[in-house]
Amino acid sequence: MKLWYSFTKELKLASRSFYFYIELFFAIIILVVVLFAIPENFSNSTTEYLYLDMPVENAAAFEARLLDEDSDNTADKMEIKIKKELIPVTYYETEDRKIYLVESEDDLVKLADNKKQLGAVIKVDMSVSPPVTSYKYYLQGYETDRLKNLYKVIHNSNLATLEAAVEDQEVRSLSTEYTVLSDREHTIPSLLTFNGSLMGMFIIAAYIFLDKEQGIIKAYAVTASSVWQYLMSKTLVITVTSIVTTAIIIIPVMGGKPDYLLMLLFLITTGFFASGIGLLISAYFRSMAKAFNAIYVLMVAMMLPAIAYFIPGWEPFWIKLLPAYYIIQGFSEIIVKGGNAGYVLLLSLGFLAAGSVLFIWATAKHKKSLTA
Amino acid sequence: MIKVKNLYHSYSKDDKYAVKDASFEVEKGEIFGFLGPSGAGKSTTQGVLTGLLQLQKGEVTVAGYDAKKFSKKMFNDIGMSFEQSNVYNKMTAKENLAFYAKLFDVETKDPQELLELVGLGDKANLKAGDFSKGMKHRLTFARSMINNPKLWFLDEPTTGLDPAIAATIKDIIWNEKKNGVTTFLTTHNMFIADELCDRVAFIVDGEIKLIDSPRNLKLQYGAKFVDIEYIKDNDSARESLSTVEAKDRNRIKELLDTYEIQTMHTKEATLEEIFIKVTGRGLV
Repeated sequence: MKLWYSFTKELKLASRSFYFYIELFFAIIILVVVLFAIPENFSNSTTEYLYLDMPVENAAAFEARLLDEDSDNTADKMEIKIKKELIPVTYYETEDRKIYLVESEDDLVKLADNKKQLGAVIKVDMSVSPPVTSYKYYLQGYETDRLKNLYKVIHNSNLATLEAAVEDQEVRSLSTEYTVLSDREHTIPSLLTFNGSLMGMFIIAAYIFLDKEQGIIKAYAVTASSVWQYLMSKTLVITVTSIVTTAIIIIPVMGGKPDYLLMLLFLITTGFFASGIGLLISAYFRSMAKAFNAIYVLMVAMMLPAIAYFIPGWEPFWIKLLPAYYIIQGFSEIIVKGGNAGYVLLLSLGFLAAGSVLFIWATAKHKKSLTA
Repeated sequence: MIKVKNLYHSYSKDDKYAVKDASFEVEKGEIFGFLGPSGAGKSTTQGVLTGLLQLQKGEVTVAGYDAKKFSKKMFNDIGMSFEQSNVYNKMTAKENLAFYAKLFDVETKDPQELLELVGLGDKANLKAGDFSKGMKHRLTFARSMINNPKLWFLDEPTTGLDPAIAATIKDIIWNEKKNGVTTFLTTHNMFIADELCDRVAFIVDGEIKLIDSPRNLKLQYGAKFVDIEYIKDNDSARESLSTVEAKDRNRIKELLDTYEIQTMHTKEATLEEIFIKVTGRGLV
């Protein structure tokens, strides 16, 4: 019962505190960004600037083919302003490409440089027999070796053979239950990890440092209530706040798609784990100012897996040592239809166990340092 | 009610002791004053007695509980009023007391009655954050009574209060004594100690210099004086003379025989004067 009284008191205090409204405000900001700033799916369309260094007849044939593929079968003559110079181009737009034909290699270089897009010169050498087609690419410098190698492969193989080989390959899905997340939905796991779990770590430490500063902990310490009840009441408030803020984000974005029961379980266990870290920090430092460096380093470390999540090509082994990696993976499995519930349950069990260890450790440390 | 034997405490956990070899006992129903200047070791001792500081060295028993393994149950019998007010600013006075009442396993007092007792009855529904320093102090004091404590720790209970409110607080302490409550009073206010305490301990630099009742201390250390105001050469004169020393006694006789006496008062040494005499230190 004392735990219940402490919890309701903490809930009342939280509803009258600054931090609670920061969390709500932050959740609403995330929701607005997700709904209005992040498109349902990012555009896959690429932009290319091309210069055709070939006889007029060959260029005409090339342009005729572009015209066929163009969405409105029209070549648009236009001018692109680069600094103070107007560069004439012919514009074609297909389903997945925006192509600008330019009139000189100089213009191509200027456009590729200023627009930070791919530029290519397609040259047909008529002085040899049979004529040879060659390609010169103007890249931006950040392209991966994989892409550069792909260009080399394409231009050193027979395209017809390559196309036939691709067509002949059979691809079978092991599971047909999976649905692919939209680009907007894809951002949700990392946002939930930050908002639902990691913010809890910071806020619970802030609550305890505030109590330390006001001497309230001393008053609590001379009652017949235990330290663990004090810490657990704070943890429960953080959990409730995290459920509320997660609901604010997830319901409008995902509707009825996620498994909400599984999400509730995962929120509680990961929140418990993150709160445990916050409790430990508040036990080892006297004030928020003194703990700031530790909190900052932890927050950054916990956010690194979110970077790896958005850049599939970057996933060093040590990322998997960070708990946030598994929190993101867990949320991904929950929101995707046909996600691996067993994996989420296993993760929940792991976070519950780790959270329990942290909580016991923090309670023991707080008993010694809460009042000092 | 309290037994302390050879208590030592060091914050740096070396031989720089904040409390050194302190030994004393407090009887049931007694008001025991722990007196000393700031930094003398009063709060440290009280911290160990209330479990706010861990016992490092020595033997301490509080309300029958060994300080080496204080039980949470012990706090059902203990009340603690802090010098620095530490209430929930975002809760009303009544909410503060009602919440603390729920943290004990014993019968508790009615929050409204307690607020009336300390003169905050009409402020029950105001947030503590809007209170003045004195009002917060009274709320902290009232909170220490919520669980009907048998052993009551009071740290500077009248600090920052106006004389009328301070008198009310003194009356409350006195009434609780009549109800059998044992009080451990930490203060540097010698007037409060003199009025309320059955016995006082003088502590300086972590060491207890002396323990006795204010009356015995005055009898033992306080020289008695007489202040005499008289008319001499058509002008008013005044002398303070010892009633013990022979030379002064003769002078008193001479003044009585020779001059017109206007006023004459006997004067006892104050506890503060005795403290300075015994410890060689002031109280600031």
